[in-house]
Amino acid sequence: MNHASDRLWRSLEEAGGNADFIARVSQEFPNLAASLAAPIDRRRALKLMAASLLMNGLPGCDSKLSENLIPAVRVPSNIVPALQNSYATAHVLGGYATGIVVSHYMGRPVKVAGNPHHPASLGAIDAFAQASLLNFYDPDRAAEIAHRGIPAARADFETALAAQRLSLGADRGAGLRILTGTVTSPTLIAQIRALLEQYPRAQWTQWEPISRDAVMQGAQLAYGRPLELIPRLEQADILVAIDSDLLCSAPGRLRYAREFAQRRNPNRTHAMSRIYAIEPTPTLLGSVADHRFIAGPAQLAHILVALAAGIVDGASAPDPARSLPDWIVPLLEDMKGARGRILVHVGASQPAELHALAHAINDALGGRGVSFDLIEPVSNAGSAGQPLRSLIAEMQSGRVQNLLIIDSNPLYSAPAAWNFEEALRQVSFSVALAQHPDETAQAAAWFVPQTHDWETWSDARAFDGTASILQPQALPLYDGLGAVEMLELYRAPAARSAEQVVRGTWKRQFGDGFDAAWHESLATGVVPDTACAKSGARLRALPAQLNSSAPINDDAALTVLLRPDPSLWDGRFANNPWLQELPRPLTKLVWDNPLLIAPALAARLHLENGDLARVTVARSSVTAPVWIMPGQAPECITAWLGSGRRAAGSIGDGQGIDYYPLTQLPGAATLQKQPGHVRLASTVHHNLLLAASQEVLRHGTLSDYLAHPGVASTAQPEPHIYRTAPPGAAAWAMSIDLNACIGCNACIVACQAENNISVVGKDQVLAEREMHWLRIDRYFAGDPDAPESFFQPVLCMHCEQAPCENVCPVGATVHDSEGLNVMVYNRCVGTRFCSNNCPYKVRRFNFLPYAREQHRPPQSWNPDVTVRVRGVMEKCSYCVQRIAEARIAADRESRPIGAVRTACQSACPTRAFTFGNSADPDSEVARRKSSPLNFSMLERQGTAPRTTYEALIRNPNPAIGAGRKAPPS
Amino acid sequence: MSARTPRLDDPVIAAGISMASMTDRICAITLRERPFVWWWIAFAPCLALTALLAVAIAYLFCRGIGIWGVNWPVMWGFAILSYVWWIAIASGGTIISALFFLTRSEWRDSINRIAESMMLFGALAAGIYPILHLGRPWLFYWLFFYPNSMTLWAQFRSPLLWDFWALLTYVLASVLFWYFGLLPDLASVRDRAVSRGKRRFYGVLACGFRGSRLQWTHMRAAYAVMAAIMAPVVVSIHSIVGLDFAGAATPGWHSTEFPPFFVCGALLSGFAITLLLVIPLRRMLHLQDMMTGRHLDVLCKLLLTSSLCIAYAYLMDAFTTFYGADPAEHELFRMRAFGEYMPVYWGALVFNCLLPQLFWIKRVRVHTPGIVAICLGVVIGMWLERYEIVVTSLARPHLSSAWGAFHGTFWDWATLFGTIGMFLGGILLAVRFVPVVSMHEMRELIASRTAAESGA
Repeated sequence: MNHASDRLWRSLEEAGGNADFIARVSQEFPNLAASLAAPIDRRRALKLMAASLLMNGLPGCDSKLSENLIPAVRVPSNIVPALQNSYATAHVLGGYATGIVVSHYMGRPVKVAGNPHHPASLGAIDAFAQASLLNFYDPDRAAEIAHRGIPAARADFETALAAQRLSLGADRGAGLRILTGTVTSPTLIAQIRALLEQYPRAQWTQWEPISRDAVMQGAQLAYGRPLELIPRLEQADILVAIDSDLLCSAPGRLRYAREFAQRRNPNRTHAMSRIYAIEPTPTLLGSVADHRFIAGPAQLAHILVALAAGIVDGASAPDPARSLPDWIVPLLEDMKGARGRILVHVGASQPAELHALAHAINDALGGRGVSFDLIEPVSNAGSAGQPLRSLIAEMQSGRVQNLLIIDSNPLYSAPAAWNFEEALRQVSFSVALAQHPDETAQAAAWFVPQTHDWETWSDARAFDGTASILQPQALPLYDGLGAVEMLELYRAPAARSAEQVVRGTWKRQFGDGFDAAWHESLATGVVPDTACAKSGARLRALPAQLNSSAPINDDAALTVLLRPDPSLWDGRFANNPWLQELPRPLTKLVWDNPLLIAPALAARLHLENGDLARVTVARSSVTAPVWIMPGQAPECITAWLGSGRRAAGSIGDGQGIDYYPLTQLPGAATLQKQPGHVRLASTVHHNLLLAASQEVLRHGTLSDYLAHPGVASTAQPEPHIYRTAPPGAAAWAMSIDLNACIGCNACIVACQAENNISVVGKDQVLAEREMHWLRIDRYFAGDPDAPESFFQPVLCMHCEQAPCENVCPVGATVHDSEGLNVMVYNRCVGTRFCSNNCPYKVRRFNFLPYAREQHRPPQSWNPDVTVRVRGVMEKCSYCVQRIAEARIAADRESRPIGAVRTACQSACPTRAFTFGNSADPDSEVARRKSSPLNFSMLERQGTAPRTTYEALIRNPNPAIGAGRKAPPS
Repeated sequence: MSARTPRLDDPVIAAGISMASMTDRICAITLRERPFVWWWIAFAPCLALTALLAVAIAYLFCRGIGIWGVNWPVMWGFAILSYVWWIAIASGGTIISALFFLTRSEWRDSINRIAESMMLFGALAAGIYPILHLGRPWLFYWLFFYPNSMTLWAQFRSPLLWDFWALLTYVLASVLFWYFGLLPDLASVRDRAVSRGKRRFYGVLACGFRGSRLQWTHMRAAYAVMAAIMAPVVVSIHSIVGLDFAGAATPGWHSTEFPPFFVCGALLSGFAITLLLVIPLRRMLHLQDMMTGRHLDVLCKLLLTSSLCIAYAYLMDAFTTFYGADPAEHELFRMRAFGEYMPVYWGALVFNCLLPQLFWIKRVRVHTPGIVAICLGVVIGMWLERYEIVVTSLARPHLSSAWGAFHGTFWDWATLFGTIGMFLGGILLAVRFVPVVSMHEMRELIASRTAAESGA
C-alpha cells in the first residue's frame, strides 16, 4: 500500500466513529455531525465516504502546536531574522558518527556543515551527511502509526505493547528479539542491555548490509580479540592499499582523506607519500594512487601471501604454481625501506584472513604507534549478540513472538535466500521503527514512524570511539518515536523522554560537573576524552593454516563484488534526490547502478554500455544493464547495492537494480548477454583524455617535477592587447589542488545545498541537462584495461576577461569590482550565448521549470540564494552570499573583509579548495597561486581565470616502469 | 501562350505580349472569383502546418524550451539554425529584387514580385525564431533601448544585440520595399475590380495611387532609394548573423570568414528557393511566356556562381583549421567529417557544392525537373550546413568532459515544418491576393522592347 492510500483510509476509519473527528466535524458542519454519530448502513457508508473525501484535509488542520500559531511578540533572543544559527550534532551512518553543524534560519535547518571539533570530521563533511537535510524534509516520510497497513492511534500501539509486556514478563522475554543496525550509541546500548536484563531470555541482533565483520574477525585472528586499526596516513610514507575503502566507505574516511592529502602536494609536505593500490575494482584511493595494480580476489590473496612471505618471519611461501607480477620485488624493496613508516590497509570487503595477514605485515614492519594505531573496538557488532541468520531461523520456527526492528530494513537488504519476509510472517507481534514505510515496515505487524535524528535526542560514537550527543534541530515534522523512546516504551509504560534518557546516560559519566560538561558537549558536538583506548594486544604467532586459507577461486570464474553504492550507501538514501543524482565518482552515472564490467569482459561477451546481461550466482540471478569500467579486473563484476528499492518513496522506488538477492551466496558467477538495452544516464559521455590534456589538466611525476620545477606551471604569460583588472580592494580567487582531490563528491552536494541547485531527474540527465554548478571531471589516460585516472573539480573560473560577458545582449552577466563574474538572474532572458562562449562550460540552464518540481518543501531552500525560474542561466557565484555576509560583518566592525569560505571549500575533506582574497599576499590562496604548480585551465584562451589549479604530481616508484608513464610534454 | 519547354535562347518576354494583354492576364489571376483548385490543394497542408506551428509555440510558451532538444553543451539548436536558414532564403529574394534592380537587369522584372514575397515571408518566418529561442520569450523587449526606472541598457558588445537590430531593420525594410513596389499594381487591380468589395479592398491598399506623374515620380524615387538601402542591408543582416558565430570563441565558430561565407550562403539558398517558386508558378498560372527559359538560365547560372563561392568557403574552412594549431578545432573538424555527424557534413558538401555543378551543362539549366531536384538539394544542403555550424560546433567544446550530442525532438521538427507551412501559405496568399508579376515594371520592359523594335 502506498502512502497516498494511507491517507484515504485514515479518513474513512475516523469517519467510522472516531469521537475526535466527530467533534471536529460538529464545529464545522453541525448537521453532518448528528448523522455521523448514528449507526451506519450501506447508503450511509457511501455518503460518509463522499463526505470523508471532502474533509480529508480536516485532520491536517490539527497539530500539537496549534496553540503557538501566533506571531511571537517577544522573539526568542537567539533567533534573529535573516541570520543563521548553528547547532552541533552528529550524522550516524552504519553506526559510526561524524560531527556536523546544522545551520538554521528562523528555526528551519537549511544547511549541514562539518564540525571542526569532531575527530571524524575536522570540519569536513561527506555527501551523505549533507544530503540528510533532504531526508529530514522528505515529504514521503511516514506520518502515522500503522497496524497491518491500517492507520492506528498511538494509544492503540501502547495498549498492544502493554499486553506484550505482560506476556514477556511471564516467560522472561523468551520470544523477544531486537534487531538493529550497528549501534555505537552509549544510550542505546545501555537501554538494550537494561532491556536484556529485564528479559534475560531476549536476544539482540545487530545487522548491517554493509558489513565490517571481516575487519573485526581479522583482528580476532591476528590479535585474539576484535580491534580497530586506525591509520595515521600523515605519518605513513608508504601506503599499500589492498582493495582499500579508506577514502570511500571506511568509518573515519573524512579524517583519513585529510591525512592522505597532507602528504600529497610536493610543495607543502616534507616528503610525498607513495601509494600502491592493488584492487579488483577501482576505488577512490586506487584512482589517486601512484601505482594501481589490478588483481582479482584470488590474485589479491596470492599477492598478499607473497608480501607476507617477503616480510614476516616464518610466513609460508606463496603457491609456486601461480605466477607473481614482476612489480612484487620492487614493491617489497620499497616497503622494507620504509620500515616503521608504512601501512598496509585491507578493505572491509576482503576476507578476515587477508586482514590478519595485513596485521602481521604491519606488525613486522613496525609502523604501530606511528603509521597506525590499534584501539579497542567502538562497537560490539559482529562479535556480540545473535547473528541475523539464526534470528531468522528462530523466527521461522515460531520461537519469536515479539520482534522489534529499529531503523533496519532486512526485508530489502538481507540475503534473499534467508527469506526474511516469510520468517517475519511467523512473528505475531513485530514492530518496525522506520522513517519511511519501507519494505520491512510494510510487512511488520506494527509500523511506527521514526523521528529523524534531528528531531530527537541520542548519542553515537565516531570511528575512534569519540562520543557525540545528538541534539534535536527542530520540532518533529511528523509524529513519531525515536529509537531511545521506543526502547524506553518497551521497558515501561510511563516512558521517560529521550532527553531524560540521554541526560541520564551522561549524568553517570560526567558526575558532579554535569551541567557544564553537558553544555560543553552540546556546543562543541564532542564529548571530550571519550576516544577508545589504544590496545596493548600483541600479535599472535601466525597460525600455519592462515597463510593459505584465503579463499582462492578459479581464475577463469567470475566473482561478483557487492559494494555500497557511492551515493546511496546500502539503500537508505534511495529516496534522496541529491544523492540519486550525484554522479558516482568514477562512472559519473546517476540514478542507476549497472553491473560494472572490465573492457575485456565486455569485448568477450559483445556487451556495450547499457546492454542487458544476466548475472547468476548459485541459482540466484539478476538481469541488469552493464557499464564498461576501465580499470576493472576482468574476472570481477562490481554491483552497487542500494538501488531497486520497492518501497523507498516516490524518488527511490524502482530506480536501478536490486543486487541484494546476490549477497552471501557461495560459488562463482556467470554472466550472460540478454536481449535488450537500457539508456543509462552518465554526466560524462567520453572517457578518454584528449591529446592536449596538459592544457586542461597538468600532471607529471615527482622526479620530473623535482628536476624541472617549472615544468607544470605556466611558461610565459601570453601577450594581450588590453586587460583591465577589476578595481576592487579584494580580488576573490580560488586555487584547487589536484593533488588533494579524491573525487569524493562532498563539494558537489555542498554546492547543491548551499545554492539551491535543482535536481532534474534521469530523463533530463539523459537529455544532458544536469544542473550541478560544480562538477568533478574524471579523465582516464592510457590503456583502457588499466588506465590512469584523474579528477578535476570544475566550477566557474571567474575569468577576468570573461567571454560570457561580451556576448550577453542584455548584460545579465557582468563583472563586479572584486573580480566576481556575477549572474543577474532577473535580467537574464535566456539567449544562452554565454554558455556557448564559455570555454569551460560551467554554465547551466533552466530548460524547464525545475525549481518548481523539486521533491522538497519550500522551507528547506537556502533563503540567501535566489531560486531560479525556467529560462534562466545559472552558474557558480563563488558563494557570493557568503562574501556578502562577510562584508556586512566587516562593515559593522569597520574592518577590512576577512576570510570567506565557499561551500565546496568548507565541505572538502582534503582541503583541495582554497578561496580568498588573492590581493592579500598573506592569504592562503595567494600563497597557493604562487606555487610552481599553479596553472590556468585552457590558458591560451586568454581568459585570465581567477580559479586556477595546482598541477597533479604523482610519486611512482622509479623501479616500477609500467606504473605511471610520464605525460606527453 | 501554349505550355512549352523552356529553351536557353528564349527571350525575356515572348513576342506579342502587349502592355494591355499582360496587365489583363495578371489582373485576371488576382481578380478570379474563386481560387484555382490546385491553390486549395496546396494551401490546405500549409494551413495545417501553420496550425501545428501555433500549437508548438503555445506549448513552448507554457512549458519552456526544454521541450526542444537543446541541452548542455548544445545550447543552441533548431531555433537558431532555422533562423539562419530562413534569413538566408529571405536575403536571396532581396538580392534579386534590390541588387538587380540597381543593375537594371531586365530578367528581373517578371520574377521580382515572387522574389519579394519570398523575402517578406522568409523574413517573417525567420523573425519569430529569435523570440521563440529565448528562455524567457516574454522579456524579448529587453533587447530594445527603452527608458526604464533602473536605467538598464542593452549590451553593445554582444553580436546578438546587433543581430536583433539588423533583423528588425531588415524585416521593416522588407515590408516597405515590397509594399512600395506593389502600389501601382494594387491601383491597377483596383481599377479593374468589378465587385464593390474588391474595389474597396484594393482601393484601401493602393493608398490613393492614381497614376499621376508626381505619384509615379515619388514612387520611383522611393523604390529606388529603398532598393539602394536594401542591397547593403541584406549584406549587413547576413554578415551580422555570421558574426553571431564568429564573435564567439567557440571552436568551429571563431572564424573571420563567416560574414562573407554567410552572405554567399544566402545567395545560394535565395536563388534555389526562387527557382523552386518560379517553376511551378509559371506553369500553374500559365506564365511561361513571361518567365521563360532565359530566366531559368540566369538564375541557374547565379546559383552555380554562389555554389562556387560556398565551395571556396568550405575549402578555406578546412584549410584554416589545419593551418591553425588549435587542437580543439582539429578535433571538431575530425568529428564533423568522420564522426557521428558525418552525414551532415558530407550532405552539405554534396548538396551545396557538388550537385549545383551540373548547371555547367546547358541542358540542365532549362530542364525543369532537374532544376527542381538540384534546388531542393540546395535547400536541404543549406539547412544541413547550418546544422553543422550550430550543432556540431557546440557538441565539441574545448573540454572533452563537456562533449555532448544533440537530437531534435518532435517539437523542434514541428516548429521547423510549421514555419515552412507558414512561409508557403504566405506565398500562396500573396499569389491569390496581389499581382504575381510586377505589372508596372513589365510595362516598362514591354515599352522599351517596343521602342527598340520600332527604332530598329
